[in-house]
Amino acid sequence: MAELSRLPGIGARSAQRLAFHLLRQPSERSLALAAALTGLAERIHPCPRCFSFAEDELCPICADQRRDPSLLCVVEEPSAILPIERTSEYRGYYHVLGGALSPIDGVDPDDLRIAELLARVEAEGVAEVVIATNPTMTGEATALYLADALRGKVRITRLASGLPVGADLEHADELTLGRALLGRRELA
Amino acid sequence: MGPSGASWRVSALELRDVRSWHRASLVLGPGVTVLTGHNGAGKTSLVEAVVLAAVGASPRSGQMGDLVRHGERALHVRATLAVPGRGETVRDLGYQPRVGRRLAEDGVPVASLAAWRRPGSVLVFVPEELRAVKGPPAARRRGLDRVLEAVVPGFTEAVATYGAALAQRNALLRRAKTGDGAAVADAAPWEAQMAAAGAAVTRGRRQGIAMMAAPFARWLADLGGASGGAVRLEASPSRLDGVGDDGWQDAFRAYLADRRGRDAAAGMTLAGPHRDDLWIGWDDFDARRLGSQGEQRTAALALLLAHRDLLRERAARPILLLDDVFSELDPGRRHALVEAVTDGGQTIITTADTGFEPQREVPGAVVVRVPDDVDAAA
Repeated sequence: MAELSRLPGIGARSAQRLAFHLLRQPSERSLALAAALTGLAERIHPCPRCFSFAEDELCPICADQRRDPSLLCVVEEPSAILPIERTSEYRGYYHVLGGALSPIDGVDPDDLRIAELLARVEAEGVAEVVIATNPTMTGEATALYLADALRGKVRITRLASGLPVGADLEHADELTLGRALLGRRELA
Repeated sequence: MGPSGASWRVSALELRDVRSWHRASLVLGPGVTVLTGHNGAGKTSLVEAVVLAAVGASPRSGQMGDLVRHGERALHVRATLAVPGRGETVRDLGYQPRVGRRLAEDGVPVASLAAWRRPGSVLVFVPEELRAVKGPPAARRRGLDRVLEAVVPGFTEAVATYGAALAQRNALLRRAKTGDGAAVADAAPWEAQMAAAGAAVTRGRRQGIAMMAAPFARWLADLGGASGGAVRLEASPSRLDGVGDDGWQDAFRAYLADRRGRDAAAGMTLAGPHRDDLWIGWDDFDARRLGSQGEQRTAALALLLAHRDLLRERAARPILLLDDVFSELDPGRRHALVEAVTDGGQTIITTADTGFEPQREVPGAVVVRVPDDVDAAA
């Protein structure tokens, strides 16, 4: 229970419920979970190229030769890759920074994989870097820092901020709507 | 009245374990209510409870724990508040030391204070409010910003963003000073965000003060103060005073880049909207530093009425809460203040003064004797 309650989003009560559930279910299922957890700890390692998670030498995306090597998308954490992949709109490779700049938390450029990013841009013939850090203050600062570091070397783009699809303007918050107005596009 | 002629209004108030009250409930009329009673009867706590239910913080104490009745674990306030354009809502605030606030609207829990509080719904004058004139610059900035939050779209977010980016820049400069892996040049991304948010803050404050200046001068004179009353923004850095709103962002960004060395040596950002101040006085007389207690009180009341005018015109007429102001004013000023606050909106006045006769001096006022007329349980 103590181990379970260390997981994010799991409080003492949820941990207790999970523990009782594990005790009640057939033991082979618990063993399968244990084996998966052991595999996680033993086999999963950071991909040496993009720093996402890999089971083999490279992660499945870096190992995929059919992707477009001229596009490189920069994200803060590996967890950001999945939602981008689900869009099916992006066919390039990724680069995981391992966080965002935040001097308050002691995170400086040296603590992120920025040198590795610059080296990849040089070595892999990247034409466009898509900066997909979070639209938070630290994510924006990281984006601005990267834009400075990459300026003149490559095309730099940033994910647009805008309105959720299928929502009414009337329910949009001012900040999002304001950004969407600033980032408006020519229609005709 | 404002664009919609709308006003904020509190129609019912219930409190549990707030200061000296164990349980109390009160129904409030739409116009002027005068709460009378001897010192310590709990009048101010009722005013405080209205403010808690509207914006979630006390006008008198930054420590919420001070408000919990002695010997009790938690306080609770419930108010029925008419929100302009939305109708009546029932708002709940509970507070327990070390646990924090529990907030709800119409029975639905609200997780964040920022989402729950209603900026611009109340304007309060408590004796502590003299800080808005003679206190530190931060007190004057807060007084102004509270009003602008309700008047300038996006102002709250701009102030928060500016503050967060400022904290990051300061942390970076301090770490650079101690040689802790950070370089002062890395301040650029934070400066860009400070400049963008700071420009919105500065624009809002400039506009707000421009709209308040004339009402302030008029109310100051009407309340028997000096003529020639003025409020001005003493913006920081003053070097950018001549820069218009459009050029301010770039100018401030360049200024910050230029000041990195000096700011790093100081370990903090020495100038910027976080150091803005409000000049309050008349002609070239600085009432903040030189005004007598009486002059400062008159200036604070004129400022409050100017805020009321601005809110009424640009947002909605706030609930006015005047705690114990009348005892300090002579009959002429009292009369002027009563005239000013009987504008059709809701005003709640407390007074302990036996020489003050609300029935005669405040026409149409509902007088509530505290604690006799308050529905209370021991």
